Amino acid sequence: MKNHNKLLILLVGFTLSYSCVSLDEKPESNLTSNQFYRTSEDAVAAVNAIYHRMFTEWLVLFNRQLMMFEMATDDVVAGPRTRSTQVIDLSSLNHVPANTGVEWSWQYTYDAINRANIAIEKIPLIPETEINPELRNRLIAEARLLRAWNYFNLVRWFGAVPLVLKESTALTEESLNVTNASEEAIYSQILEDLQAAEGLPAPGSYSSNEVGRATLGTQKALMAKVHLTRQNWSEAASTLKELIDSDWYQLYDDFNKVFDPAFKNGPEHIFSIQFNGDPAVTNGVAWYSMPFEFNGEFVDAPNLGGGLYESFESGDKRKDRTLAKEITNPQTGLKVLLQNLTYVKYFDSATPFNQQQSRVNIPLLRYADVLLMYAEALNELNGPSAEAQEYLNRVRIRAGIPEIAQLGNSLSKDGFREYVFEERRKELALEYHRWFDLSRRGPDYYVSKLKSAGKSNAAPRHVKFPIPLRELQLNPNLSQSPDWAGF
Amino acid sequence: MYRILVQKRILWILLLGIMPIQLASAQSDTYPLKGVIVDAEGIPIPGVNIIVQGTLSGAATGIDGDFSLEVSGKEVLVVSAIGYFTATIPISNRTELSIELQEDQQELGEVLVVGYGVQKKTDLTGAVSSVSKEFFEELPVASIDKALQGAIAGVQVTSTSGQPGSGVSIRIRGGASVQSGNEPLYVIDGFPVYNNSISAGVASGSNVNPMAGINPNDIETITVLKDASSTAIYGSRGANGVVIITTKNGRQGQAQVSYENSIGVQSVIKTLDLLDAQGFARVRNEALFEKNPALGTNQYLSETEISALGPGTDWQREAFRNAMVQDHQVNIQGGTDKIRYLVSGSYFNQEGVIKNTGFDRINFRSNLSADLSKKFSFGLNLNGSQSNSEIAPSGLVSALLLMPPTATIYEEDGSYTLRNPFENIISNPIASLNEQSNEAQTLRILANIFGEYELAKNLKLKVSIGTDLQNQKERSYIPSTLYEGITVNGQARLGTVSTQSWLNENTLNYRSSWGKHNFDGLAGFTQQELVSEGFSAGAQDFVTDELTFNNLGSGASALIPASNNFRWGLLSVLGRANYNFDQRYFLTASMRADGSSKFGANNKWGYFPSLAGAWNISKENFFQSLNSKISELKIRASYGETGNQEIGIFQSLSTLSAVRLLLGPNFQTGFTPDRIANNNLGWETTVQTDFGVDLGLFQNRIVFTADFYRKKTSDLLLNVQIPWTSGHSSSLQNYGSVVNRGLELSLATVNFEGDFNWNSQLNFSLNRNEVIKIGNGLDYILTGNFNGDFIIKVGEPLGSFYGASSAGILQEGQVETLGALTGKTNPRPGDRIFEDIDGDGVFSSAGDRKIVGNAQPDFIFGFNNSFSYKGFDLNFTIYGSIGNEILNGNSQVLELLNGQQNALALANDRWTSSNPDTDVSRASSDPRNIFYDRFVEDGSFVRLRNITFGYTLPSSWVESISLNSMRVFVSGQNLLTWTKYSGFDPEVTSVDNTITQGYDTGIYPAAKTVSAGLKVIF
Repeated sequence: MKNHNKLLILLVGFTLSYSCVSLDEKPESNLTSNQFYRTSEDAVAAVNAIYHRMFTEWLVLFNRQLMMFEMATDDVVAGPRTRSTQVIDLSSLNHVPANTGVEWSWQYTYDAINRANIAIEKIPLIPETEINPELRNRLIAEARLLRAWNYFNLVRWFGAVPLVLKESTALTEESLNVTNASEEAIYSQILEDLQAAEGLPAPGSYSSNEVGRATLGTQKALMAKVHLTRQNWSEAASTLKELIDSDWYQLYDDFNKVFDPAFKNGPEHIFSIQFNGDPAVTNGVAWYSMPFEFNGEFVDAPNLGGGLYESFESGDKRKDRTLAKEITNPQTGLKVLLQNLTYVKYFDSATPFNQQQSRVNIPLLRYADVLLMYAEALNELNGPSAEAQEYLNRVRIRAGIPEIAQLGNSLSKDGFREYVFEERRKELALEYHRWFDLSRRGPDYYVSKLKSAGKSNAAPRHVKFPIPLRELQLNPNLSQSPDWAGF
Repeated sequence: MYRILVQKRILWILLLGIMPIQLASAQSDTYPLKGVIVDAEGIPIPGVNIIVQGTLSGAATGIDGDFSLEVSGKEVLVVSAIGYFTATIPISNRTELSIELQEDQQELGEVLVVGYGVQKKTDLTGAVSSVSKEFFEELPVASIDKALQGAIAGVQVTSTSGQPGSGVSIRIRGGASVQSGNEPLYVIDGFPVYNNSISAGVASGSNVNPMAGINPNDIETITVLKDASSTAIYGSRGANGVVIITTKNGRQGQAQVSYENSIGVQSVIKTLDLLDAQGFARVRNEALFEKNPALGTNQYLSETEISALGPGTDWQREAFRNAMVQDHQVNIQGGTDKIRYLVSGSYFNQEGVIKNTGFDRINFRSNLSADLSKKFSFGLNLNGSQSNSEIAPSGLVSALLLMPPTATIYEEDGSYTLRNPFENIISNPIASLNEQSNEAQTLRILANIFGEYELAKNLKLKVSIGTDLQNQKERSYIPSTLYEGITVNGQARLGTVSTQSWLNENTLNYRSSWGKHNFDGLAGFTQQELVSEGFSAGAQDFVTDELTFNNLGSGASALIPASNNFRWGLLSVLGRANYNFDQRYFLTASMRADGSSKFGANNKWGYFPSLAGAWNISKENFFQSLNSKISELKIRASYGETGNQEIGIFQSLSTLSAVRLLLGPNFQTGFTPDRIANNNLGWETTVQTDFGVDLGLFQNRIVFTADFYRKKTSDLLLNVQIPWTSGHSSSLQNYGSVVNRGLELSLATVNFEGDFNWNSQLNFSLNRNEVIKIGNGLDYILTGNFNGDFIIKVGEPLGSFYGASSAGILQEGQVETLGALTGKTNPRPGDRIFEDIDGDGVFSSAGDRKIVGNAQPDFIFGFNNSFSYKGFDLNFTIYGSIGNEILNGNSQVLELLNGQQNALALANDRWTSSNPDTDVSRASSDPRNIFYDRFVEDGSFVRLRNITFGYTLPSSWVESISLNSMRVFVSGQNLLTWTKYSGFDPEVTSVDNTITQGYDTGIYPAAKTVSAGLKVIF
């Protein structure tokens, strides 16, 4: 019996001595929100997350998603092997509020905005001992610029959308079910954010590993674009003039250098999506525009009815770097005849059969765009003046085609505007400008351009995209834009 | 009717406890008494307890039923043994005694292992079934879960892949959870095991089945707990049912050594009928012509070249093989009245029917239990296994089907053809099989020690401590000679994931009877914790493929390494009371409180009660006259709540994820929140009601059981969609509900008894599933594939397919009128047209789709028969699933006829202007890959799952060669299948997912097996 008692004590003792399992969750390989945003490194990581959502990730926003909206223009069409119905529907203007491509653009943009909101809210709270004020101000300025850029996209795509300026932290209906803000309110927030970003460093201040961050040049170019879109011609012109006079930027002598990895982040590039050929990053547009012959997907195909290829004047040096019927295989040196006319802007000859790893940056803002914007603004203010012509001519001359006056047409204000837009179309093809350019000219212009390019479904409502059906179903406080009601 | 040793031991200790404790006065004149104890047939009974009444002294019988005792001749002996009536025998000065014990039929009644205890089958109030050994003995399967198919009503077992050692999907009474786990909880020797597939993310293809770490031959009994009364004791893990596995232990008696083996051969059940080279070449010609008519009708090959083609490469035949499966096992078991032991070792090796795939396992087990004294016993169950899987890489089976027959395995120079020569990129699957390494090695140790002490009369404390260690290593190498490896110049990856789970259980058990009142109670406290760590690394750009994954440092560029670490904990308090009056009226109540770390800060603890009652009508006095015909009639009812907490970790927290981005030449890191924190996150609650009847006729020669149940699962762990304006798309919340209702019938009959024996078991179950609510204003969610081929819709069952509906083929002259219904920009005759559901005259995926099928069966059944005559025995099981549909994803891509990949042979009947009367659309280089009702097929099947014919050699002959017994057998699995399904095999599903069940795409095909084996006891 004695032994048994000892064993009993042992047993009970063992049971009680064991410490209780803790029910708190302490993620050891993951951070949680309330552990973070305390140091300058945390602050950089918070802003990096915004760039990530907007630019880096495959299929996301600028690295591919925006391309879906280029489908709704006269220049691009869904290639024959396109599998995604959302792309096919956008290409043929059969898209509806349930279109997945439209949904994704909305989703990723608000995700980026949420990340920006977090940075804008949390970085000011970091103690002064942990972050130097210069870095703090720069990071907040970057976040505000990126937030403005996202709202600028949203308001152009969808019109009156909810204006969310704080991180979403509660799962309550009051917090989640936001309502539409007016376009005016959104634009005034965009301008406020852009003005707050004036403290960004001048181009050239970043180290080579951070060369892709937003600069004061980005801020000015975006600001000008906002004014131009709003037809505030004089504000647009003055902002553009400041940018041009700053001498930060200049055109490359050779158009090919714009898309040559050896010249990336050069004097013409204001803001670009960065690619380095690493297998961990996919260059979405490069892969999706490449032909089958080079293992491409050939989804982003030229719309042959749009006549872009034919519109290049003879001798235009941009033509072959934009569209091609044959590609030289750099491994064999032989020309490969393509079944289809193909966009080749992002073709990287270093990895001919693997354009997912193309190192060609996608320029989102570049100096040629600035010059053309300035020419447009000057024309709107004062007609096709010599000054306005000069800025248009700088782009034309670089392309190896005659100055505008040498075409021998008498230039009206309206005629000059068309020249500028045609020049933008050729110069900036597949750089995500075409849909915005068409839509800001209004429904009549958009419909006539698309119809004459063979897209007979074009209708006035297509100058905006519909607010995603999913959002309308989930959020009773959100309403569809009037033009899209009933679709 | 088999008894369970574990529980026998407990009862034995219990009986000891009931003995009155009283010290005997000293005796002076004593003499040795010798005796033997036998049963009614005169066979000696070992292990019988003989106690001198009123004392603590006594003896136990040895192997020959004999005992000896020093007595004075005046004492009274109390003789007791499990399964026998206790006898009280006065010695009356005799020196030798022969005592015959009468069997207690009641006591011998089948005893089942239930949660935290055992229960006689006749005392059950809940729906609990045991699996007959016929279902899992001598079956050449890697894991026990495969053996449950057809064994029990209400349990649907489906293989998820023919990959040896891969997973099995089990649904007990239907799937309830939409996004959380649906697999049952496994309890092995009292240890609830972590049974999710673990993966280091390196090996691609099917996951390794964690149950494959347990050797099926080590298993003594399997019970399945189905209703809430039996599962509520497992609280927040009980909602999907519980499978309780008890492993073998030694028996008292001489040591017994046995050897078992089986060797078999497997082959694929069926191959798909695809186009040969000539057929393919013509499809390609047509597709090219359709695209560019100016280049003529023979852009690929001329008719002369086509007729010169042979059949081309049969990629299926190149990959499939006859594969060996073998199993060897040695058992040593035995024991005394104080110690019982079993030691086993086994080796199992199963080649896959696809070459260079397979699974092998070495397994050791040691089970030991010992009685240190009458009050104290302890034991150990230890299982260790090491298994190796060579896994078919993901996409391999699809590649075998899609590779054109005109492509060759090798180029003329003898090197591998890299890929499909045409537009669609498919890498050479045979090269992948031959050259690529894709393997996993799993070490699993399950160990459990327990001690049991009788604190007071009828009151016992049991303490157990166990651990479940799993360590999985994964290795992959894609050589530079393969298409996948050529751009990266060889890629090697290594990964490891290890999980350590420990468990401490402390239970108190009380059992008592007074008069006709019988009571037993259980109270316990348990704690379980799991820690998991994962790590992977890789490199690419190798100078040589020789080193494969063995030298990551020799790769010129490193892949980003990954690691993770998490833990979860579960604290529980549980209790149960069983009461019966006179074996007539039964009442069971149980309760478990679970605290789980997985849930939100405001919602850590959940409470899971149950209540059940039963009335054994056949024990009533008024029923006695019927007892000769109706030997048992019992009605049961139970009600209770159980939970499901199978979600990932940290789901309630706003964790941050690292993201990588480029702002220049090198990567930088960002951090962003994964979700909005949900402090209220809790478990799914299933409320289940069960009504059952047990009926036994003619001394239980016919036993019939029927159960009707209704399970309502609410607070579904659902990724509730939230507006994207929040920056997030969903939030894991407790939202929505699903109902499962069903009926289970089972019938066991003894058809013949005597020299010729014939027993049958038939079970039938039907389950109806309905989504009641899914979330915030939504009444459906589309999921899966490009456009969502599956729908979760209120009012419909889970597993519904959502697609277009064919309206035939566009004929000449219809392009203008019906062309828009093809969904193509340039419709042509021969294109598929679809039903215009929204009536707008144009096909669109948004408006012209509907529910076109469902994967849930109308009913399933299992039918087992066993026959024996003299030494011969025959056993077979038929399993059927009727009324389920399959989304044939293989056919969907094999009917594209784009000339860029192979197609089904029925493409020979495709639409052409000279063959307009067909239901196969034309060849087209630009087909739209739309899922429509043509690819939903009747997946009903009836299958001869297993048939075993055995012969036990006559003992006279066996003994002449100094063996105890010897048995030889041949068996076959899946030898016959009756189905209309056109794919490889109708038994398909996706792992642990109730939404995309019945989706057959690129699944490793199932095999049929013929094997032979023997079992020798030395």
